Amino acid sequence: MSKGVLVDLTKCVGCGSCTVACKLWNDNKWDDKNPTMGPSAKLTDKNWTVVQFKEVKDKKGEPVWRFVKQQCFHCKEPACASACFAKAFQKTKEGPVIYYPHLCVGCRYCMVACPFNVPKYQWEKAFPLVTKCMMCNTKVEKGEAPACVSVCPAGVFKFGDREELLKEAKSIIAKDSKYVKHIFGENEVGGTEWLYISDVPFDQLGFKTNVTKRSLPSYTEAYMHATPFVGITWGVILTGLYHYTKRRNQISKDNNKNIKA
Amino acid sequence: MQNQQEGKDKQKQITRRGFLKMMGGIGLTGITATIAGCSTDPAGGKGWMPQQYQVASSYPIQVKGRIPIDPNNPSITRDDKKCILCGQCIEVCQRVQTVYGYYELPIKNDITCVNCGQCTLWCPTAAITERDDIDKVVKALENKDLHVVVQTAPATRVGLGEEFGMAPGTFVEGKQVAALKQLGFDAVFDTNFSADLTIFEEGTELIKRISGDLHEPLPQFTSCSPGWVKFCEYYYPDLLPHMSTCKSPQQMLGALIKTYYAKEKGIKPEKIFSVSIMPCTAKKFEAARPEMNSSGKHAGKPQLKDVDVVLTTRELARLIKAKGMDLNNLPDKKYDSLMGEGTGAGLIFGATGGVMEAAIRSAYFLITKQDPPEALLNLTPIRGLQGCKEASVDIPGVGTVKVAVVHGLSNARPILEAVRKKEAPWHFIEFMCCPGGCISGGGQPRTSLPPSDEVRQARINSIYNADAHIYSKRKSYENQEVLALYEKFMENPNSHLAHELLHTHYTDRSKQLTVKKKNA
Repeated sequence: MSKGVLVDLTKCVGCGSCTVACKLWNDNKWDDKNPTMGPSAKLTDKNWTVVQFKEVKDKKGEPVWRFVKQQCFHCKEPACASACFAKAFQKTKEGPVIYYPHLCVGCRYCMVACPFNVPKYQWEKAFPLVTKCMMCNTKVEKGEAPACVSVCPAGVFKFGDREELLKEAKSIIAKDSKYVKHIFGENEVGGTEWLYISDVPFDQLGFKTNVTKRSLPSYTEAYMHATPFVGITWGVILTGLYHYTKRRNQISKDNNKNIKA
Repeated sequence: MQNQQEGKDKQKQITRRGFLKMMGGIGLTGITATIAGCSTDPAGGKGWMPQQYQVASSYPIQVKGRIPIDPNNPSITRDDKKCILCGQCIEVCQRVQTVYGYYELPIKNDITCVNCGQCTLWCPTAAITERDDIDKVVKALENKDLHVVVQTAPATRVGLGEEFGMAPGTFVEGKQVAALKQLGFDAVFDTNFSADLTIFEEGTELIKRISGDLHEPLPQFTSCSPGWVKFCEYYYPDLLPHMSTCKSPQQMLGALIKTYYAKEKGIKPEKIFSVSIMPCTAKKFEAARPEMNSSGKHAGKPQLKDVDVVLTTRELARLIKAKGMDLNNLPDKKYDSLMGEGTGAGLIFGATGGVMEAAIRSAYFLITKQDPPEALLNLTPIRGLQGCKEASVDIPGVGTVKVAVVHGLSNARPILEAVRKKEAPWHFIEFMCCPGGCISGGGQPRTSLPPSDEVRQARINSIYNADAHIYSKRKSYENQEVLALYEKFMENPNSHLAHELLHTHYTDRSKQLTVKKKNA
């Protein structure tokens, strides 16, 4: 059973504890140009999670403030891992999609593949790597919640088995009419380990709602399965051609010899 | 022999070159390995977390996270780089002040904060501090066109010394005035003066409420503490009619500086820059309230604010240090005249119970036209650090006046609930937002972490000691400058002009939050 996090956006008070916890646990530097909180908060190679401030209208049309935590969604079938031929991105059995710097070749296919634009590149470094939220996999392995989840004073997050959380989310939104009837992450790109519920429509909060419900690797799976066959077939054809041309050259050489003689 | 020599040379040559090559190679490999990283660990997780978070996910954590702070909060600000998520700010906000956690989620369009700044006193890394306004004051002091006036609150004179190595509660009134004069302020006034003035206005209002001349409910609440006022506006807006309409001493003096003082000195109000030194961060919020422009409205220029900048005691200490001055070596100086006189009654405003004691001293006189008995000058039942104190005072002609004194907002809730249920036996209740009163306000020196009652008591003792032994006058009605103000400008307490300049109104803020039914 993979682990997940249920995020109830209605409970966030915007304290930003989660962003500080991420910096502390991952020893990430503070980025003066890109704040981790506020209207211009932005995910960067240093900011693995941010809390965006949104001034929106609620169902009654009254202006309300909402705070949206962003980080890697940890897809059930991650496109980044699927695109990475070096296996630098790997999906663990506990749920986190993690990154091994020593395997990375720096091709950045993961960045292109991610539908949520999460992986970031250390453009300013001499030996750059790709970075993103790791869902604190070393903590999750020990049964602890990710750092950001563990520090929240307002009860925004719940950490546990994804399927259990999904059931709970369904029951919450069924019982309480304030919630929009959608669990972000249930089906998006085939499902993600991070699940969100909210009282304001997700598109107003900056969520990418027009993504496919199918997992992204499933689109390429059919072609990519053929890779070994294509490889072997081409090998056979090219080897055949090699021997054919070699033999032809040999024959032509021999013939020329005969003419001279 | 020759061969042997050649062999040795060759060996020597190879050794040196080989050695350098070897070292260079090792260095280069080392640097490459260090930069590229030879670890096969996944990224992240190389930092630390405070101990309380190193637990299984379901284990309850008592103190965690931190309070939300609006980036536009006029009083306090936080440096995320210094925050260690110790949870102390939540501890004080929720348990001592009962603000955080006392509203339902989702929040509406406000980050509920009474601006008291107690979190700045509890924060062990000083990540949360007052919003620094020193630059504004420095610029004003450098501007030759401006007449810069400053006032100092009662409580700053028993706190400032601690920033310069003095023992808690050291009385540095004269040195503080000297420092302000050396900094270049054109006039240095005492908020004790307007504290005495508040007694006249608030005392008159109380007598009118008791006698029925003013159709407002009893008990009357004091309105000097802006953190308390905002708390009442958020959580108990239905009780706002109980709140005295008197402005706080800071705002009274601010309004008078740009009217009475401006008139007496022949200076245009717009040329005056008014600064106040306060033990309180909520005073920054109070001065910025849109209605605090009485002097501007009086002069036909509503854009003028009564108080332009508020500095906390800590900010003043930083300003003094930045100018290379040492408070220890300054000679004692006196406040400027016109609004520099203060009595012991005004001074004790700085301690919990002080406003009440000062009010009783004057109320006795205003009603009986006689000096109060000695017992009323040392009203011990309402002194000290007990959260809620009460006393009964017999005043001839009125009967028994019942009063209560509350400090720290968690202590205010049961009293307010009693008032709501009409079960409160008191006529007059003093509320102070911060535990211990202004002497332990959010802008005072961080002498102990978290703030201790020992330090609070030392500051309180110093205040009462000055009231009993240093100040020659102990009753507000003896303040000659206040009497002169009424004679020359204001006519009498609660006059039309007094209402225009010294009284205010309140805002119902209950729409900005959903008050929690059952408190956390």
